[in-house]
Amino acid sequence: MSWLSRLNPRGPGTRTGRHAAPSSPCTADPETCLMVFENHWRQVSGVLKRRESSVGGCADDLTAVRNHTDQMLCLLAEERPAGGDIESPDCGMSAAMGPILEMVVAENILEELVQWHVRHGLDPDSQLELLKLFEMLIGQSHQPLLLHSAVLQPLLSLLGACVDPQLGCPSALESSLVLLLNQVCVSMVKETAILELLFKCGPVQQGPTNLLIFSLLVPFIHRDGSLGQQARDALLLVMATSASNHAVARYIAENSYFCPVLATGLSALYSSLPRKIEVRGDDWHALRREDWMGVSSLVLFMNSLEFCNAVVQVAHPLVRCQLLDYLHNGFLVPVMGPALHKSSVDEMIASTAYLDLFLRSITETSLLKTFLRFILLHRHDNDTILDTLLTRISSNSRLCMVSLSLFKTLLSLNCEDLMLQLVLRYLLPCTHVMLSQRRAVRETDLYGKSADKFLSLIPECCRITSAPSSERDDEPAFWGKVLGSPTSESPVHHRPSTPSRLSLFIRQQSSGGQANSSGSENAPPSPRGSVSSPLSSDSPMHQLPDTSEGETGYLEYLRDARRGIELCSWGCRDWSAPYDGENPSPTSVPPPPPPPTSNPSLSMVPEHFSVMDPAQQRAAVVAAARSEWSSSDRDSGEWDVTISKNCISLTPRSKKRSLLPSTVPLQSSASASTEITGAVETVSQHPHSAPHPALYNGMGQVEFTDSVDERMEVKKVKRESDVNSGVVESGMNGSMGMGPVDFKDFHVGSALKSSQVQLKPHLQHQTSVPSSTQECLQSESQRLSPVLGLTETSTVPRDNRAPESVERLIEELLERAPSEPLSGDSKGQGISIEAFHQELRELEERVRERRVLSHSSEESSRESRTAPAPNLTDEDCLPVETERRSSETKPDSSTTGVFSPARPLGQPLAQPYTGPFITVLFSKLESMMQNSLYVNILLTGVVFQLACYPQPLLRSFLLNTNMVFQPSVKSLIQVLGSVKNRIEAFAATHEDFPVLLRKARRFLVARGKLDWSDSPMGVPNLRRSDSLIKSRKPSLGDLILRHTNSPTRARHAAQLALAHVRDGGQSLHSALFRGGAAGGASGLEKQAEALRVKNAVYCAVIFSEFLKELAALAQEHAVALPFPPSQGTEE
Amino acid sequence: MDSNKRSDAEEQSGPGEQRASPARPSFGKKQLPSIPKNAIPITKAASPASSTQSANGTHASYGPFYLEYSLLAEFTLVIKQKLPGIYVQPSYRSALMWFGVIFIRHGLYQDGVFKFTVYIPDNYPDGDCPRVVFDTPVFHPLVDPVSGELDVRRAFTKWRRNHNHIWQVLMYARTIFYKINTMEPLNPEAAVLYEKDIQLYKSKVVDSVKLCNSHLFDQPKIDDPYAISFSPWNPAVHEEAKEKMFAHKRRPDDYNKGLPVSGLSWVKPGSTQPFSKDDNPLQT
Repeated sequence: MSWLSRLNPRGPGTRTGRHAAPSSPCTADPETCLMVFENHWRQVSGVLKRRESSVGGCADDLTAVRNHTDQMLCLLAEERPAGGDIESPDCGMSAAMGPILEMVVAENILEELVQWHVRHGLDPDSQLELLKLFEMLIGQSHQPLLLHSAVLQPLLSLLGACVDPQLGCPSALESSLVLLLNQVCVSMVKETAILELLFKCGPVQQGPTNLLIFSLLVPFIHRDGSLGQQARDALLLVMATSASNHAVARYIAENSYFCPVLATGLSALYSSLPRKIEVRGDDWHALRREDWMGVSSLVLFMNSLEFCNAVVQVAHPLVRCQLLDYLHNGFLVPVMGPALHKSSVDEMIASTAYLDLFLRSITETSLLKTFLRFILLHRHDNDTILDTLLTRISSNSRLCMVSLSLFKTLLSLNCEDLMLQLVLRYLLPCTHVMLSQRRAVRETDLYGKSADKFLSLIPECCRITSAPSSERDDEPAFWGKVLGSPTSESPVHHRPSTPSRLSLFIRQQSSGGQANSSGSENAPPSPRGSVSSPLSSDSPMHQLPDTSEGETGYLEYLRDARRGIELCSWGCRDWSAPYDGENPSPTSVPPPPPPPTSNPSLSMVPEHFSVMDPAQQRAAVVAAARSEWSSSDRDSGEWDVTISKNCISLTPRSKKRSLLPSTVPLQSSASASTEITGAVETVSQHPHSAPHPALYNGMGQVEFTDSVDERMEVKKVKRESDVNSGVVESGMNGSMGMGPVDFKDFHVGSALKSSQVQLKPHLQHQTSVPSSTQECLQSESQRLSPVLGLTETSTVPRDNRAPESVERLIEELLERAPSEPLSGDSKGQGISIEAFHQELRELEERVRERRVLSHSSEESSRESRTAPAPNLTDEDCLPVETERRSSETKPDSSTTGVFSPARPLGQPLAQPYTGPFITVLFSKLESMMQNSLYVNILLTGVVFQLACYPQPLLRSFLLNTNMVFQPSVKSLIQVLGSVKNRIEAFAATHEDFPVLLRKARRFLVARGKLDWSDSPMGVPNLRRSDSLIKSRKPSLGDLILRHTNSPTRARHAAQLALAHVRDGGQSLHSALFRGGAAGGASGLEKQAEALRVKNAVYCAVIFSEFLKELAALAQEHAVALPFPPSQGTEE
Repeated sequence: MDSNKRSDAEEQSGPGEQRASPARPSFGKKQLPSIPKNAIPITKAASPASSTQSANGTHASYGPFYLEYSLLAEFTLVIKQKLPGIYVQPSYRSALMWFGVIFIRHGLYQDGVFKFTVYIPDNYPDGDCPRVVFDTPVFHPLVDPVSGELDVRRAFTKWRRNHNHIWQVLMYARTIFYKINTMEPLNPEAAVLYEKDIQLYKSKVVDSVKLCNSHLFDQPKIDDPYAISFSPWNPAVHEEAKEKMFAHKRRPDDYNKGLPVSGLSWVKPGSTQPFSKDDNPLQT
């Protein structure tokens, strides 16, 4: 009821506010008022009668009538109910009418007035005047005027006269009209009888439909600004009032366009969302409130979605069902489905992030069900949405991160249906377990054996306490002591004092201050984490130098795990079965779908890398590595990396910036053709300086265009000028920055006005299919009626008298909805350019790659004591590794790595298969060394969440390290074992690994700390998400691991910690190339190598923490008590 | 009748009298039930090593966690077993010592309320089986008439981890009062009487039960904040506790209202198909 409670104060609030001023005359004696009123009425009626015969109408008459009417209505509004019962002014019929009202009713004064106006020919001016008068009257009156048909009828006449059935409401009248309607609805809430009256006296009127009030409001549903809000509020009041009124509900469902307009309106609004989400940091992976508040189109959409949620909450079941059905068939299927399947990676990222946001924003169970049903069951091109989303996890980093984030949201729903489809149905047959082991499914880790096993996988090289010191306990600043002083490294790795260096310094200062202030202004939340509290007391600035590496207490992990398991089992308490290997019975379940035989679903990730030959892949990997490096460097604000054919130039940031336009005003009419040419240029100039070049593949040139510079620069300017400078993010079609930049007023609401429909260029491609969508919609509505048991009207869902305007409105809305994936976008050009460059690199790379490979393959084969997977011998495994070696999550891993290691092609289908989700997660885990930090943070977070589920089938599969699986089934422990081996092999080849490791830890701690001081008020308002995201905060381990929710904070922290990390990078460079660079390695190779090292070192930190988490989970599961089912009594 | 009254009194033990029962609010936390006053839970007190954040070193330093969690897990199993008439409560000072009480509801020992203590070997689970010692030696062939120790070992000749659990010991401690075994008795007198003179045995048992029950309200033998103690029914103290006990619904530790929609499931029981439940959308 949150909506309603929010609404209710609204009516009285505005009312008292306004009525405070004229309240003085109301103290006048009622009889005097009546006399005055009568006097006015005499004069007016004189005019009215006089003009009865001769219709010519002089302006004087009009003015006179207007003035008198004004006075009269004021008097009426001020009048108190007879008996002077001020105590209960709104108590309805019980109080007698005041004398003026009595007269108004007796002589039908208002009706006469309105009729006179109507006959007279209502000019817009008088319409406006009358609307305002009525609004004042209804809003301020002390008596329930609308209960009297002498007031209600003229009101309806007026409304009917103001709103042309064909053209809708003239725009000049809109705000007054909506305000009036809103007032009517507010009084309706107070006097529910009004609803009945409105409903009954409808047909008499000339209005097209029974509930004129309602149908007049519908077109404003999706408006932005206060107008839309008022309309939505008013509609919601109608919804709530009619929740128990079957007749009205039926009317709304059958005779109004409320549901279709709402649903298809979402489609229209969706279509105006940015196609591409301009990301500000390489850790960005989800839309938070701060992200979208500045994007007007998204705000508009979210308002409407929130409204849908509210309607579902309060409306009559009939209306709710219809709305849900329309949302499914009118928004999710025709719009969301294709949007998720767009061929451009940027669009995939955007649509995935949107879906994630929507899921986090919905609170109503039935609406959530509609979304989940769509995700789980709807098939788009033969694949369920879920299948499609799953494959994205294996893609390259940004898409992967957004997808992981979505799955985290999905997992947090604790929905049985989802888990069944995602994991459980593959485990149900128990074929993954050796027959003799089936009983063990239900066992928990009673004696900590599994926990011990997980902990034993922490690589030796990561046990940082093996440092020389002996007093490793209870010395929080231990690490600070050893390498605390920031100067300890700087003499060695002295850097030239470039302008950018200076700017970094300055920025550090400022951001430090910023962080400081933000920390202090929202006084330390000081959550229960006692371990970390000493750290939070100080400002990050001061702390940074001598902070500990953040020894993450195991107790914190235990607490986290306990909480996670408790919440999860609480969430699962109403599931239909325990999933313990016996119920549902393994023998009775239908066989799960087999694994993909080739990699058909992979082809859905339209990355051109995936069809390249291995050499190209490698080159692409390097290219990506390069860009990853450059992007991270760019984030530091120091260097711009420009890669041209054979050299990489590092340009000091500040210098370069001045050369570039810092703002690019967005023109919605920007022509695609110019952008295409622009794209080619940009590509040739800076082919790889985008953060994740692979993300650009498959995206039409259009998206490719604006790459790099502008964006970078805009971003930078934003950061420095702290937004709000009116900087307009650049734009290609509709893509825009997520910063709080007031982008452009996408006046989607204007679609409702036939006069100004803005079709943005990219939408024009897509208007080819609107009719089919509409057909679908119509057939849907026909189908719907029988479903609802309303057969009478099923064949004629629409009243013939229905106004054209609504018809057109829907049409328009539909036209704006994208219905099919863009087919016209050719991606050939961008690809060929990319490919060309990669080919150029290839030769250079191959030599170097081979050398490094052969070196480390010796290492790893020596190290790997257990084969990572039964069918994955070292020989198999190594090439994969090398192909991925210097990348973070490369597309090649999606082709060669994802499905094949777990289940090689050609294996009989009868082989146990643990499902695509497990497969893709494991394969991603296996490549942890190559994943970026942020991917790993998200990835381990998802696995953690999955491992919180108490169902024995799932728990035993992930956490019982003693289980014996079928040989073809890869277990989590095997995967982790192989990662461990790789980390150790890596550490063995890098002598300064301990130093790097410490730096990495320190960076993560600093990052976490800053994030922690994030204000609780900054929490996104998304009811579900905030609790989930923030929930993991207080533990120190969490600080290190998972505060992914505040990129900005993280960025500050990153900047703070940057010096160290950068020094680390530097020393790492020298370490690497001291021996290796003898052969004149190019800068490119250095970067690729540096990236590889960076990822590996971060991976080592995350990996160790992750193992502690898993161990804690194993232990906590053993002591967890299930919750009894809620029996529907709670909430 | 009599036993009902007594078990009532037992159920309504006041806040100061800690007792394990499945309905206990504090079971929600897996920390051992918290003490009302200012005691710290056993997890910290029992093994000081564990409370230091020594998680940084080798995984050997996690050792203390394992023992505690093993015992906690055993305790959790006890709760899940819902053994009739048996309540246990780990002590505050050591997770290796549990206080218990057993209510015998019918048979020869009907109305008996026997307090006991479980001692778990510190090399658990690789050591011997836990010992059970009755506060007052019950007259029973398998209970040592002097020490009050129950012969547990005969049932668990070799304590096997993974197979043997403490709840089995508790179960066994209950069973002996219903199925009397006279083989190799610790109390030969009881064994002989049971075989030869069941009437005398019965009267001895009645005496023993009376004796035990007469000491019910005594201070616990072992001074421990979590020791089980009984007191006469005192509405001022017990009524409220009883109310709470019945009204209580366990929720996640930091459960709050804003938490996600929970219990999402549209799977029809017996089906493994998503959204297979017939939901009547017209019902609220």
